[in-house]
Amino acid sequence: MKNLDKRFLLSLMSLLLANFILSSEVNIYTSRHYDADDELYEKFTKNTGIKVNIISGSGSALMERLKAEGKNSPGDVFFTVDAGNLSRFQKEGFLQAISSQKIKSIVPKELRGPNDEWVAIAKRARVVFYNPDKVSPEEIKNITYEDLASDKWRKRIAIRSSSNMYNQSLVASLISNNGIEETEAWAKRFVRNFARSPQGNDRAQILAVANGLADIAIANSYYIGVMLSGRGGQEQYEAAQRVRVAFPNQLNRGTHVNISGGGILKYAPNKSNAERFLEFLLSEEAQKHIVNNTFEYSVLNNVEPNSAIAQFGSFISDQTSVADFGKFNPDAVRLMDRVGWR
Amino acid sequence: MFNLNSWSIVLIATFIIFLVPIGFIFSSLFSGFSENFYHIYEYVLIEYSINSFILLLGTISIAVFFGVGTAYLVSNYKFFGKDFFEWGLLLPLAVPPYILAYVFTGIFDSYGSANNIIRDVFGLPNEYIFFPNLRNLTGAIIVFGFTLYPYVYLVSRVAFKNISGSLNDAARVLGQTRLNAFFKVQLPLIRPAIFAGIALVAMETLSDFGAVEHFAIPTFTTGIFRTWYGLYDLDTAMQLASILLLLIFIFIYFERASRSKIRYSNKSDAMSPKKEHILDFSKGIVCSIFCLVPVMIGFFLPVAELFNWLFQQNFEIDSKYLVSVSNTLMVSFAAAFIGCFLALITNFSARINKSKTQSNINVFLSLGYGIPGLILAVGITKFFTTVDDVLLVDFELFITGSMFGLIMAYIIKSYALPNNLISSGYNKFSVAMDESAEILGAPKRKILQKIHAPLLRPSIFAASLLVVSEIVKELPATLVLRPFNFDTLAVSAYIFASEERMFEAAPSALSIVLIGLIPIFFLNKLIRESKEL
Repeated sequence: MKNLDKRFLLSLMSLLLANFILSSEVNIYTSRHYDADDELYEKFTKNTGIKVNIISGSGSALMERLKAEGKNSPGDVFFTVDAGNLSRFQKEGFLQAISSQKIKSIVPKELRGPNDEWVAIAKRARVVFYNPDKVSPEEIKNITYEDLASDKWRKRIAIRSSSNMYNQSLVASLISNNGIEETEAWAKRFVRNFARSPQGNDRAQILAVANGLADIAIANSYYIGVMLSGRGGQEQYEAAQRVRVAFPNQLNRGTHVNISGGGILKYAPNKSNAERFLEFLLSEEAQKHIVNNTFEYSVLNNVEPNSAIAQFGSFISDQTSVADFGKFNPDAVRLMDRVGWR
Repeated sequence: MFNLNSWSIVLIATFIIFLVPIGFIFSSLFSGFSENFYHIYEYVLIEYSINSFILLLGTISIAVFFGVGTAYLVSNYKFFGKDFFEWGLLLPLAVPPYILAYVFTGIFDSYGSANNIIRDVFGLPNEYIFFPNLRNLTGAIIVFGFTLYPYVYLVSRVAFKNISGSLNDAARVLGQTRLNAFFKVQLPLIRPAIFAGIALVAMETLSDFGAVEHFAIPTFTTGIFRTWYGLYDLDTAMQLASILLLLIFIFIYFERASRSKIRYSNKSDAMSPKKEHILDFSKGIVCSIFCLVPVMIGFFLPVAELFNWLFQQNFEIDSKYLVSVSNTLMVSFAAAFIGCFLALITNFSARINKSKTQSNINVFLSLGYGIPGLILAVGITKFFTTVDDVLLVDFELFITGSMFGLIMAYIIKSYALPNNLISSGYNKFSVAMDESAEILGAPKRKILQKIHAPLLRPSIFAASLLVVSEIVKELPATLVLRPFNFDTLAVSAYIFASEERMFEAAPSALSIVLIGLIPIFFLNKLIRESKEL
């Protein structure tokens, strides 16, 4: 018994030592910069002993850095908030296939890259926020993105600048479903419905609705969770209580959903650590942490959204391939330039 | 002609190192224009240009009006608060435009502090909005004007101080009013200084990204980023950047050309002490208010709001925050030291070699100031990886992603500051002095060490501090080039502010402002001592 203990201890120690020498770190290139992510990384290090190194920046800037670094890149994992970004990285050949069976078994096919080059970590929906005092239930019932171009919304809509990638992905998804010409005709009328020239981030759009500057706003679902959590201060908390959420296109293809996701970089020097890192992000522990801190939706069916978000109900999500967001992104930007969406 | 000696070699080396990333950007112009370029040309280029132009015009107007106006008042009159304004007018230098932009939206947006206070006082519902929307060109002009006017104030103030009092007296004796004396005597004399200030303001305005992006104004810089991020087209983005750089180049050329026409003729010995005119009470109050306005908008308002944000959350100094403070100081002082050293050697070389070519090269090096940080960062990254590939094949990745890239970007971006200050420092003392030393047999190194360096000390000192305060604010290049786990204050302020989590951005933003205050103390000293220069 004593011998066994000793041997067990020895093997454990050598395992730990090997772990320390061979796999002590993982280098992450991320365009997410939430405090909640830092806490996640700390948890991962605590669980595995693997040190996490972070470079953050926009997707395009990171891509240039990776391109320049080439084979010498120390990067292991690319972690970002937009599916367009992920599919672009995959197309440019920056990512390698994820081999972990664990990941493949828990994440549905449509939330992974065509050859498992990337995997979704969390989901967010681009929804309509409305002021119940100004918008009647009939008006908002069965709302679709396509409806937003209708004259009844003239000068009533708040949305941020077309330089924002969430809007670019939304328009790219419309191009994917309706074609460029129809989407351009839609965008022309949609722009006329703006209550003000595009400004501020998603949260500012929700606040504009709360303050009566606009009747409806298009913004990502998790912002309302952050506002209701009180982290943005009392004013935002009160504002958030004055708005309601509607999920567009529930009678047809579903609400536009974008993802946060990650992939393993092609020249990753610490590949196995990278896989362990992605597996960790998809663990129940990490998913619960994400859901309760960034207010995104989990990719696991058994992890419920935070109650602040769950109160708005469940919804059907658009199954349009997220790879199309990247594919049609340049078309979306040019189209928005042409119709004068600033 | 170009004299090849050890001094000019430093210049050439600096030139080459600076040129590679810049040259990389300009080379995009020769790689053919893509469909995207024609798209931009057809639909948005005119708007970018018009917006950038209006922004520039408005900003320069505010900067000149308040910069020259306050410098004139402080230099010629005695009024209530003058002793404070003398240095207080520099305070907005500590507030980068993007932070004032964050604060402006925090105060004046429909849900901002100002509207909230009024609604609370009168018990009004949320639909009542009192302050105009500032997320537009007007707002941006105010933000740039009131954060950048100190550049004009600083140079004008020093120039006013160097105008001999006898000139003004002569004008007055000949029957000119004070106002006439200002426009006919003083203003023409300080024109080169004003132009130098305007050049800095213009470059700063044109290359800013943070503030215009926060206000969602389509300008050249936002267009560059949009082309890169949205159209996925870095080549076209760099072509746009090249156009912007050419504009800045033209601007600098005119500034230099007009400056070279004017000679400084005031030797300190020819100066009779200037009497400060004491204003009566009502006129004095008007002057005080005129000087208070820019300090109020550019400094006290943002600082008060940042403190407001700070107190709305429970801020405690954690190790993460301290690390980003020390990171920020370390890289900015390293860059300031190297930048000043290079500027001193290159200006010295141009002077002792009496080379027009060399001074023109030096002017060219100042262009780095106008390069949008992110584009510069890409140029440097490509440069470094090439070096890594060619020279360091057998080793682990060496310079790419190291501190060198970051410091290099900082030096290139801030080189205009030491270069302008040291070259105008050189303008103040005659070449005859060098010649005397040379006739007396002093080697060139001795001339630099024993004569130039002591004479230029105030310029070098001011330059290094200006560089530090400039770098502390730098954002886009830092985001791309910083090594792993290397956060600076600007990075953490940006990260929070881009999520509009203003309360959490407050500690870093305030620290940037506080570090930016340090140079002001020394710049003030510089102004006070400028008579003795």
